[in-house]
Amino acid sequence: MRRSERPLLQLPGPLLWGFLVLLAGQILFHQFRQASTAAHYQALTKPLNASVYRGIAMGSEHLMSYLLVVRLQLHDNQAGRHFSYAGIDYQLLIDWLEQITELNPASEYPMMLASRVYSQTRDHGRLRLILGFIQRRFDDNPQLHWRRLAEATVIARHQLEDLELALQMAEKLARQPATVVMPAWARDMRFLLLANLNELESAIAIIQALLQSAAVTDEDEQRFLQEKLLDFQQKLFESQQTSKNYL
Amino acid sequence: MFAQTISLFRYLLLGILSKRLLILVAILSLVALLVGSFFSELAIINGDAIVVALIADILRYSLALLVLLLVATSVAEDYEFRQFERLLTMPLARWQYIAAQTMVIASICLVLMLPVLLVVSIYSNWAVGIYWAAAVWLEVFLLGLLGFLAILSLEKIPQAVFFSLSVYLLAKLSGLITLMLSESVKLSEGSATSRFVDSTFGAILYLIPGVESFAENDVFFEDIDLLATIGVQGSAVGIYALFLLCVCLIDFYRKEFNL
Repeated sequence: MRRSERPLLQLPGPLLWGFLVLLAGQILFHQFRQASTAAHYQALTKPLNASVYRGIAMGSEHLMSYLLVVRLQLHDNQAGRHFSYAGIDYQLLIDWLEQITELNPASEYPMMLASRVYSQTRDHGRLRLILGFIQRRFDDNPQLHWRRLAEATVIARHQLEDLELALQMAEKLARQPATVVMPAWARDMRFLLLANLNELESAIAIIQALLQSAAVTDEDEQRFLQEKLLDFQQKLFESQQTSKNYL
Repeated sequence: MFAQTISLFRYLLLGILSKRLLILVAILSLVALLVGSFFSELAIINGDAIVVALIADILRYSLALLVLLLVATSVAEDYEFRQFERLLTMPLARWQYIAAQTMVIASICLVLMLPVLLVVSIYSNWAVGIYWAAAVWLEVFLLGLLGFLAILSLEKIPQAVFFSLSVYLLAKLSGLITLMLSESVKLSEGSATSRFVDSTFGAILYLIPGVESFAENDVFFEDIDLLATIGVQGSAVGIYALFLLCVCLIDFYRKEFNL
C-alpha cells in the first residue's frame, strides 16, 4: 500500500530553500570542475629510472614495460579529450621511451610508437628528437629495429626534407652485416637517396659493386638494380651533356 | 600413523573447500579476463602477449591473497574452537597436524591452479599454461606455508596476514630496496648508518625467499627454457618450504595447550 505524502509546499521553508541552494551548488561545482578538467592538459611527468621500474615490477619487467608504454601512448587522451601532440614535451617523451626501452630491450613497442605515432608532428625540432632516438636505439638490436630505421629514413627524406640525415640513416641500414636479415629494399635506400642528392656516380658505383659481389641472388632484385643502373647512367650522361653545352 | 594423518588432512580440507570458494575463483578469473580484454583493445602491437601476462599476474596475486586468507582463517578457527586441545587428547602427534595442514595447503593450491591452467593455456599455449600453473602453485604454496607459520605463531588473523604479506612483498621488492639502500649509501658518502641499514637488509635477504622462488612472468614475451626455470624455482621453494616447516614444528611443539 502506498504511503500518502504531504505536499512539498507544506515542508519547512528553510529545508526547501536549503535543498534548492545545495542542488544549484552541486550543479555549478560539477560544471566548473568539468570545464577546468577539460581545459587543462596534464603534462608528462619525469620518468623514474629503469632500474626503479624493474624493482617495482616484482619480477614482471616485460609486463611492466608494456603497461608503461600503453600508459604513455594514452597520455594524449585526457578527460575524454584528445590533445594534440604539440602539447607534449618531446624531451620528456624521449626520456620515457628511453627508460621503457632500457626496462625491456626486447620490445619494439617504444620504437614503433616513435616512428609511427610521435613522428606525426610538424615541428622539425621535435621530429629530429624522435629520429635521434630511433637512430640511437637501432644500434641496440638492428635485427629488431631495422623497420623503424627504414621508416625514419623515409620520414627524414619526405617529412623533414633533410636528405643528408636520411642518407646517414640509409647508410647505417646498408652497412649492417648479412647476419641482420632484412629485405633488399631496406639496403637499397642508400643509392636511391644518393641519386636524389645528385650523387649519381656514387649511386652507380654502389649498384655496380652490389651486382658484381653476387650478394644479390634474387632475380627480381637484380633486374631492379640493373634498371636503376641504366636509369642513373642515363641521367648522369644527360647531366654531363648539359654541362658541356653550357661550357 | 599414515592413515591418521590422511584422515586429519581430509577433515581439515573439507573445512576449507566450499562452493563459495569455487564461485569466488570463477569471479576472479572473469575479472582477470575482463581487465585483460580491456588492455588488448589499447595495445597496438603484442596485444595477445600483454593480455595473457596481465591475466596471469592478476590471477597469481589474487589467488595468493586468497590462499593466505584461507589458511589463516582455518588455523585461527582451530585456535578459537579449541580444536588443538581436542586433537591432542587423541592418539595424534603434533607433527601429524603440521603434515596434514601442509597437505591441505598443497591441495587447495592445486585446486586453485586448475582455472589458471585453463585460462592461461587458452590465451597462450599448453606448455606455457602448464609452466605458469606449476610455477604459481609453487609460489602460492610457499606463501600459504608462510601464512601457516604466521598464524600458528601469532594466533591472530590480522597480524598473521600482515606479517606474511610483508615478508612476501619484501622478497618481491628486494631488488628495489637493495637499489634504494645502495643509492642511499652513495648519497650519504658511505655514512655508518646507511652502511649498517644496507648490510642489515643484506642479512635479512638470507632469511626470506629469493626472487627465483617466484613465477617468471617474462615467459609470455620471450622464449625461456621452461623446464630449467621451473627446476630452479622448485629447488628454491623446496628448500625454503622445508625451512618453514621446521620452524612451524619448533613453534608448535613449544606451545602449551591446557588439556
